[in-house]
Amino acid sequence: MADNDLVNVKIDGIAVQVPKGTPAIEAAKKAGVDIPFFCYHPKLSMEAGANCRMCLVEVATPRKGPDGTISMAKMPKPQTACSLPVSEGMEIETQTEQVIADRKAILEFLLINHPLDCPICDRGGECPLQNNTIFYGPQNSRFIEEKRHFPKAYPLSKHVVFDRERCIHCARCTRFTDDISGDHQLAFLKRGADMYIDTFNQSKMVSKFSGNVIEICPVGALLSRDYRFKARPWDILSQKSICTQCSNGCNIKLDYRVGRLQRVNARLNEAVNEEWTCDKGKFGMDYVSTDQRLVTPLIRRDGALQPATWSEAMDLVVQRLKEAGKSVGAIGGARCTNEDNYILQKFFRNVLKSNNLDHRLGTYLPPAQSGLHARLGYHTMGNAIADFERMKTIFVIGSDLVNEQPILFLRVRKAWRFKGGRIIAANPAATQISEFADPEVTYRAGAEVALLNGIIKILAERNPSAADLPGYGDFIKSLAGWSIEKAAEESGVSAERIRRIADAIFSGETAFIAGKAVTEHPDASAVIEAICNLAVLSGNAANVNIPVTQCNAQGAMDMGLLPDSAPGYTPVEEPGLNTRQMLEAAADSNLKALWLVGADPVAHYTDADLAKRALGGDTFVIASELFLTPSAELADVVLPVASVAEKDGTYTNCERRVQRIFKAFELSPDVHPDWFVFADASGRLEQPLPYFSARDILREINVTVPLYADCSPQKLGNEGIRWQYPSAKSDLQLVPVEYRPLAKVTVAE
Amino acid sequence: MPDPVKPIAKGMFLTMKHYINMLRAREKTNVTVQYPEERREQFSRTRWRHVLTRYDNGLEKCIGCSLCAGACPARCIYVQAAENSDEARYSPGERYAVRYEINILRCIFCGYCQEACPTGAIVLRKDFELADYNRKDFLYTKEMLLEPLPIQADVLPVPMEKARGMVGAGKE
Repeated sequence: MADNDLVNVKIDGIAVQVPKGTPAIEAAKKAGVDIPFFCYHPKLSMEAGANCRMCLVEVATPRKGPDGTISMAKMPKPQTACSLPVSEGMEIETQTEQVIADRKAILEFLLINHPLDCPICDRGGECPLQNNTIFYGPQNSRFIEEKRHFPKAYPLSKHVVFDRERCIHCARCTRFTDDISGDHQLAFLKRGADMYIDTFNQSKMVSKFSGNVIEICPVGALLSRDYRFKARPWDILSQKSICTQCSNGCNIKLDYRVGRLQRVNARLNEAVNEEWTCDKGKFGMDYVSTDQRLVTPLIRRDGALQPATWSEAMDLVVQRLKEAGKSVGAIGGARCTNEDNYILQKFFRNVLKSNNLDHRLGTYLPPAQSGLHARLGYHTMGNAIADFERMKTIFVIGSDLVNEQPILFLRVRKAWRFKGGRIIAANPAATQISEFADPEVTYRAGAEVALLNGIIKILAERNPSAADLPGYGDFIKSLAGWSIEKAAEESGVSAERIRRIADAIFSGETAFIAGKAVTEHPDASAVIEAICNLAVLSGNAANVNIPVTQCNAQGAMDMGLLPDSAPGYTPVEEPGLNTRQMLEAAADSNLKALWLVGADPVAHYTDADLAKRALGGDTFVIASELFLTPSAELADVVLPVASVAEKDGTYTNCERRVQRIFKAFELSPDVHPDWFVFADASGRLEQPLPYFSARDILREINVTVPLYADCSPQKLGNEGIRWQYPSAKSDLQLVPVEYRPLAKVTVAE
Repeated sequence: MPDPVKPIAKGMFLTMKHYINMLRAREKTNVTVQYPEERREQFSRTRWRHVLTRYDNGLEKCIGCSLCAGACPARCIYVQAAENSDEARYSPGERYAVRYEINILRCIFCGYCQEACPTGAIVLRKDFELADYNRKDFLYTKEMLLEPLPIQADVLPVPMEKARGMVGAGKE
């Protein structure tokens, strides 16, 4: 053997080298030999596999005889290729008469109780059972008796309907809920011909990832309730896109028909979502094809919003912008593409000469992410999503991960389930991560710093080499008053558990993930400083992750939708107003015009009253929106813009991966992408920004934003590119953090 | 002087003979069809205008499976399916076509849809008079394509209870 890890096997006489322990079916894939299967799935564990028996092959292994000669010994019975790890010298035959007869027999068995109602089955046309039957199955069945009957379309959950008659008991879905989503919702009941899949006590299936079982079901047993009877596979067209429901940037396919979105399926991207989606993404994207979408511009006339033409609306906008001069601002961009955001900031900075730009709409924070940047040299995530797999320990703090970052949650669970990682979690309330977090502690809300100081105290004692770090003296001094007991008392977590957390962090490479409880903490910068201290002290300065939550918030930051930095985080000379200041200025009539770009402050800003006063006042409000949102209802001009399905562009996900979206269909000729609107306005202001397509703009971004230099349309490909900071931060230091219990903290402005 | 009557009578006799023979043979030899009063009989396998057929009790045979649209080389069929409910049943089984449209201008009358149909719902029949004045009128909707209801059938949709006894309704 040339390499200890590789073994030589022959599949139908084709020699391949594969890593030891690879299932024979994967080796065959590598050799280009087709082995039919139903239950095998590369992402699911093999322990509960080999259910369908479709992948039977004949196997021979070398055996040494008594006289020392090596002969090939054929295994007496065919083996399932999916559960057979290959060994050195193994020879696998997939086209023998025996195998062909076996496949026919297995399919005849599988089809005995399968209703063959393919014409009305949503899976018909993209069904592995249909395909394998055509290629490997018998022409007809000898079974003439009555098939078994169950109620059709049994509602398994809000999104999934289950046709028990069609189920072939491959156990892909039950293994998915055990191995991937971790909610253990589905299981087999009874045995033999009576076997069926159900939830515990016929309760509803409760899962954040239930949509995936529809995609992995090899027959039409598990089906989407939303997509039910909507279209057949040959009716729909498909376009590559990115999910906009959160910042994880799942790769999806938009399946559409006659200009309406029919369903969303996952697209394989090993670096991001592998092949999963969450239910929010899979079933939440239908907003692009609802009848509530705006298709004409609206202008406020006599106190009511009335339909108008684009030129009327744009003339009014331009006239008011001219009058406003520099007293203009824009809020939003976290839902727009990078191209939209780039043109938005270029329009405001170069044409209107204003730096009043902000994409942040949550609680206004003293720039939380830039606090991270000052300490560790990156703004949001130190790790790529795929990096979590290799972590020894992952410390999730203040994050309801499964709701905030579903795909990160799947990676973290994968690290625990398949890679031997240890997950520790500290949250103000129990979350779904408690299934596998050890320990999961619940701290008193707002006491993050106390808990972290307790852990830091233990680590500081154990890691004397940290004394070389700059700021160590002051830092240790600031910890003088802290003991584990005090931390336990302040945070409500027992001292023993704090010790266990410290042990786990000390045991190896640790990644930190902080969520909303941290970023929306009234004293967020102190918590983030404390997390940075912990990371620096434990030697994990590159592993702190504070992911953004909105779809393209990362891209909006990169593209300079911040009052104090231009694209690529270059500081601007005169910082503009941030979201809160803009809303306050608008409420006090100190801002002449405010442009809401896919932002809805009335619904999403923490201070809805302020938002209402700001938008309802004298300020001229322009809203680029998909829908007539509560904020758009208060606007003076509402411009209908394109959704993710109707435009080209790129999104940057929370791990800074730039990924392309493609236009799938057109809602109406009157609906334009955001960048087109700004380019149009600039033309009417006689300082044109002449762009013809999102590609044009991306090419300009490649030139003007050094961080995006590699992200050209040609290079992005299917996987996207994760842009890197030019260099890692070298001057790490420790900073004293003052713990202020929640009652004493006032909201930071 | 020759008798003028005789040859004339002879000639007239010949004319009358042919005329009567012609009248007698008319059934067999006539090639002119008096369209539109008369229509020539079509061959039994002629493929002309599509019809969506029904079962004897009036239930639609079409289950909205869209296989016809998949088989159509001209892509002229549009099918949109919906679910039969307990209150309103249009066809046996779970699914029926809520919209069924054929763009007859695009149709090449190849009959693949008929061949693909698993229930024998779409058939091409002998009605060849397809000319019309507006392009819009060539978009044949489900209402235009459906066979008229049999005389004794219930008007669709029928409630589930009634449909139970109907052809194939319980079989699925």
